[in-house]
Amino acid sequence: MKIIDYITEEKINLSTNLSKIQNFCASKLRETPLPKSQSETWRISNKQKLSSLLEYQYDLNSYQPNIPSYLTSKKAIKINVGNANQFNLKENDWQIKELNTKEINFLIEEKIINNNSEPTWTNLLNHSLVSEENLLGIKISGENIPPLQIFCNSKINHFNAKTLILLIDEKTTVDLLQVNLGDKNSSLSLTTYVWLEKEASLNHGVISLGNGTSNLLNSLDVVQKIGSNYKLSTIQMQYDFARFEVNINQSEGGGHTTIRGMQVSNDNEQIGTYTKVVFNGPKGYLDQLNKSLANDKSHSIFDGSIIVPKNAQKTDAAQLSRNLLLSNTAKIDTKPQLEIIADDVKCKHGATITQLNEDELFYMRSRGLTFAEASKLQLKSYYKEIIDSIPVLEEGLELLNHLIN
Amino acid sequence: MQEKMTGKEPLLEIKNIFASTEDLTILKGVDITIQPGEIHAIMGRNGCGKSTLSKIIAGHPAYKINQGSITFKGKNIKSLEPEERAKSGIFLGFQYPIEIPGVSNLEFLRVATNARRKFLKQQELDTFEFEDLVKEKLELVKMDYAFLNRSINQGFSGGEKKRNEILQMALLNPEIAILDETDSGLDIDALRIVASGIKKIANKENGIILITHYQRLLDEIKPDFVHVMANGQIIKTGDCKLALELEKNGYEWTDQLSQDS
Repeated sequence: MKIIDYITEEKINLSTNLSKIQNFCASKLRETPLPKSQSETWRISNKQKLSSLLEYQYDLNSYQPNIPSYLTSKKAIKINVGNANQFNLKENDWQIKELNTKEINFLIEEKIINNNSEPTWTNLLNHSLVSEENLLGIKISGENIPPLQIFCNSKINHFNAKTLILLIDEKTTVDLLQVNLGDKNSSLSLTTYVWLEKEASLNHGVISLGNGTSNLLNSLDVVQKIGSNYKLSTIQMQYDFARFEVNINQSEGGGHTTIRGMQVSNDNEQIGTYTKVVFNGPKGYLDQLNKSLANDKSHSIFDGSIIVPKNAQKTDAAQLSRNLLLSNTAKIDTKPQLEIIADDVKCKHGATITQLNEDELFYMRSRGLTFAEASKLQLKSYYKEIIDSIPVLEEGLELLNHLIN
Repeated sequence: MQEKMTGKEPLLEIKNIFASTEDLTILKGVDITIQPGEIHAIMGRNGCGKSTLSKIIAGHPAYKINQGSITFKGKNIKSLEPEERAKSGIFLGFQYPIEIPGVSNLEFLRVATNARRKFLKQQELDTFEFEDLVKEKLELVKMDYAFLNRSINQGFSGGEKKRNEILQMALLNPEIAILDETDSGLDIDALRIVASGIKKIANKENGIILITHYQRLLDEIKPDFVHVMANGQIIKTGDCKLALELEKNGYEWTDQLSQDS
């Protein structure tokens, strides 16, 4: 595995400013180069596909992504992670400011080095590799902020690594669409950290679209302060191997979190979403829906946990995993979990796995729709709920047609 | 038995049909012939095979024809898929219209209408043209346009679902329509609206099969023939007086007839 050899054989060209973090992460990886197979969240991951993901040449250059029209918004401010230019966008009532290296180092060190919990393998890999050019930190504050789009991509035959840091200031409301694109035969490692200050609000869309043979390791870590509102809407598909790890920490409780996620796997792909929502204070709220759709011989995984410790009284959390099997050879693993210590909470979770409904199909066929047209209409309805919740997107219908066809 | 009209090619001819589902034989030799312009009513106890007959004609994949033939406009349709039958002009109004969450009623109706129009070699309708057509047809069943923006049948009352079926029938302009207990679950006003819609769609070129338990629908729509079904067979055929006789004597009378036959 070229990437692991690159790290373990100490070939990394350490970035002077990031050397402490890189050294820390690389030394951890030298001890444990690959995720432990007994680890619960890696247990059913396809190891062969993970090896293939790590087989590409590491590339610290950045390339302008080729963005399809249905993923671009005319009104949004567009930022490409990897463009080295410093920026500071400012209007009378708002500001989007790029963080400097010192601020970024401080934030990542807090997450990775000075943290009681062990960093994830996905983040260790990312921070061992990311160069300063591929690291973007921004602080957003004010009112009436224009919609934002942030792009990350991986280049054909290469392994690219990017890190994004977002600080949303108190009482600031932001609509952001993150678009991750993968060329064929490429791998992208992306780690995103979000800090939502008191009463801040982020409507966050994440669309990850590969090219069939692309790979993705996507880690999203969100800290919510009291009174903050975080809404995450995601779609991931067209990857040979994709893994989306989402960690949300309502650090003081009293936050509002909504998650709408969807993953689609075809051919022999393996696509997985692993979410963990922790309530570290009372009166937190979560409404989570994850949809999976598995076709051909693909494998779809959802592993979602909700942690409600003793100090998280009056938590109100609901999690639902809805899955649709489109072939007899596809496989879906879903594991919604609750870990509750507090005794005055309202928590529920559930999972359904179904196939396309035969009565519904016959009803539509009896009106002249072919089997394929009827299936497509049913699938459209399955996608639509998630696409409708994605912010900033102006051509939702065009995206829907692209995904269906 | 049913007396055939002469000089016309039958629209639908069902001959000695035996049909089953999951190895259970339900239809045991059914014969019906529908000529253009005719309205037939089929009555009978629950479980006698009325709905199975309607599903067999529409091509439901869960039912198997073991013997006999179904000919539509002179062509054997036994091997046609449900959508091919629908496009060629066979319509089934469901006893329990299916709710399909998330699928827009409007989009579904447009795709279905265009599938039929394409078969008829008519120009397919774009969104705006379809909107004009559907508004005109909504009048027939006194439905509000807002229903079209909902998911198919989701959140509809029993009456609204049945009106939606008749709306579909009006849009698809079928040559044979089988309406399976379209009157069930309707209050008096809704029944009149639905019946009035059906009467406006009925013409000299098409044929209608009304499956019903009650005379009250037949008070609104006068059938040319009434068939009584029992135990997977048609045991008696007559004119509209037969429905009145059935209403008067109840199904015990048909049980006796069944034993006699």
